Amino acid sequence: MSTVLLDGTEQLINGLMYGCFYALIGGGFTLLFGVLRRFNLAYGSTIMAGAYAGLIPVYLFNAPVLVLFVTTIVVSVLVGLLVEFCCFRFLRKGHELAPLMTTIGMLIVIDETIVYLTDAVGLKYPAPFGDESLALGPFLIRPDYLAILVVSVVSFSAIFYLLYRTRFGRAMRAVAERPDAAQILGVSVRHVNVLTFVLTSALAGIIGFFAAVSVGSARPEMAAWLTGKGLVVMVLGGLGSFPGAIVGGLALGVLEFEAVWFLGSSYRDILAFAILFLVLIVRPGGLLGTRTA
Amino acid sequence: MRRSLICGAAGLLAAFLLWPGWAVAFEGEGTVRIGGMWPLSGPASFFGKAAFGLASLAVDEINEAGGLVVGGKRVKLALYSQDEACVAEQGLAVVKRLATVDKVLFSLGPGCSSVAEPVFGTLQKKLDDRSDTGLQLLFFTDIATKFGLAKLSPWAFRNTPDEPGMYDFVVKYLKEKHPDFKTVMVSYESDFAHSAATWNIALKPALERHKHHQVVEVVDWRWLDNEFGAQVTRLRKANADIYFSLTHTPSTCPSLRELKRQRVRPKIVVGITSLAGTEVLQQCPDVAEGVIAPSNFAPITPRAKQVADKAWERYKADSNIHSVPAYENVHLMKGLIEKAGIKNTEESLLSDRRKVRDLLATVGTFQGVVGKITMRPEDDPVKPRDVDKDLLLVQIRSAKWDIFWVPDHLKQN
Repeated sequence: MSTVLLDGTEQLINGLMYGCFYALIGGGFTLLFGVLRRFNLAYGSTIMAGAYAGLIPVYLFNAPVLVLFVTTIVVSVLVGLLVEFCCFRFLRKGHELAPLMTTIGMLIVIDETIVYLTDAVGLKYPAPFGDESLALGPFLIRPDYLAILVVSVVSFSAIFYLLYRTRFGRAMRAVAERPDAAQILGVSVRHVNVLTFVLTSALAGIIGFFAAVSVGSARPEMAAWLTGKGLVVMVLGGLGSFPGAIVGGLALGVLEFEAVWFLGSSYRDILAFAILFLVLIVRPGGLLGTRTA
Repeated sequence: MRRSLICGAAGLLAAFLLWPGWAVAFEGEGTVRIGGMWPLSGPASFFGKAAFGLASLAVDEINEAGGLVVGGKRVKLALYSQDEACVAEQGLAVVKRLATVDKVLFSLGPGCSSVAEPVFGTLQKKLDDRSDTGLQLLFFTDIATKFGLAKLSPWAFRNTPDEPGMYDFVVKYLKEKHPDFKTVMVSYESDFAHSAATWNIALKPALERHKHHQVVEVVDWRWLDNEFGAQVTRLRKANADIYFSLTHTPSTCPSLRELKRQRVRPKIVVGITSLAGTEVLQQCPDVAEGVIAPSNFAPITPRAKQVADKAWERYKADSNIHSVPAYENVHLMKGLIEKAGIKNTEESLLSDRRKVRDLLATVGTFQGVVGKITMRPEDDPVKPRDVDKDLLLVQIRSAKWDIFWVPDHLKQN
């Protein structure tokens, strides 16, 4: 295999694995948007809050990583419910842009609280997957990225099962498509909204854990980064399309890795946004969204 | 009745909140106001808080010893600190506050070069030029390290590392001690002025000057990036003898971890000057083991040890290459203020600043915490109003900074 092909393949593998992480972020944003038809800009902060809170038992009691992981999820769910209560519950029938403002407000409140409590200093995160990459032929694979891949596959499968094989999934889809009709048929829209928040916030906990583990620290600026990536993936894949978020995340991951490798790090975002721009011109609904979305 | 009570209370509260406490005449409050703008929040707050702590320690020491004598009266120093958050816009807002609201005699900081650059741009460019409406606020900077910043205004002075000199020494040292290590790879942060300048203005010219090393790979990333895989793969393929990691702790730690993952093992790793603090020891002592950094400070003399211990004890402030100059600057300025014959009134503020500025411009050599420091004169063609001071090399050993090399005259201490 030629060197260029070999290098390109290595970046492709890394990009796909990291793309799974982007897909998880985009998936969270998409599920919320799909059901509520509203943007939740506090989702990145929910992820960050979980990542920070997970460290509390580690710093206080030297708790094992499993406790950290569970705490991250539990706190993310609690923060998610707080976001639902403060930013969405009373605005369900209001203007669709209203939650945009309330969630921006919540994003700032959560961010500033963490900055205040931690002095905006990054907190060291454990490295449960070790510091040695695994050799796979000529390629080196990061164990934490491999874990992201596995967790993503499990999470996506579980979400697909939930969406298409359970009563709750049917209710979710019904609310997403016709909330008023669903309500007439006896589906509690509020109940579905709350459970959607629980589901996406649990996903936020998983994302927060892996975001911090992959960098080695929880940092206050991760909320802005996660929000940016999540929105790009959601738009690229197609607003409200969960399979679109997966495709969008994988595409963004591969694009970024190949761009950094072949063109340099300065081209990473330029290329990613140029492709997003192009996709929106050719397919305004995103890769797997509807044309009129 | 109740309503008027509430209105009265609200009025009192508003008056209390809006009352310009600073309007009291300076001599009346018995203080000389000095300022400081550092990143006290955000990712660079580690350095800002340390500098604030060391400056506060110097102020405490001066005040506990009776303060300073101004116009025949004993007055205390009062430190007004502001948070520039390593954000240029915030720095521009804060500098105006220090100059016109806090009305400080001089200011320490800024912390980040990317803030210092626009802030110094707002200062007067030419002394005594009435058409130049730039701020007449004296800065004696302790952190912002990018080469040549003091050239931006005659009101800007710095006690910061001389990075071109430092990296010139490092390259020369490596050439002499390890002549067989010939290949070099470099990483820097493209969006961090200090990091990019260390590569472009300090290290690159030094490597070219000494004509010994061959640069086989240069990679860049952003200060707050999360992923370094592709860049480190490039470094892995380059497999150079020496790795210059010219990045700050937030990206140094994850990138060094990625180096370990990809089994990149350069024979020597040299860091950026800013690495020589405790932040890297808190974040990633394991992967940073063995990294060497040029510095101007290490607790190698009894005085340096005493200052470091006291700063930690009182303010939990880390004494490092960037924070100790804040301490040195305050002590030096105390002497200059006493000598300058300032009036210390609101009306005399501009002329007081000018008097102190002029004295600082001719200060020459003064005593620092580790050794002698020399302020270069204003007409210096290379780096006017910047200092020369002793260079040390420090290395992380067993999760602590240790001395790697010191000049002979400091060894005797």
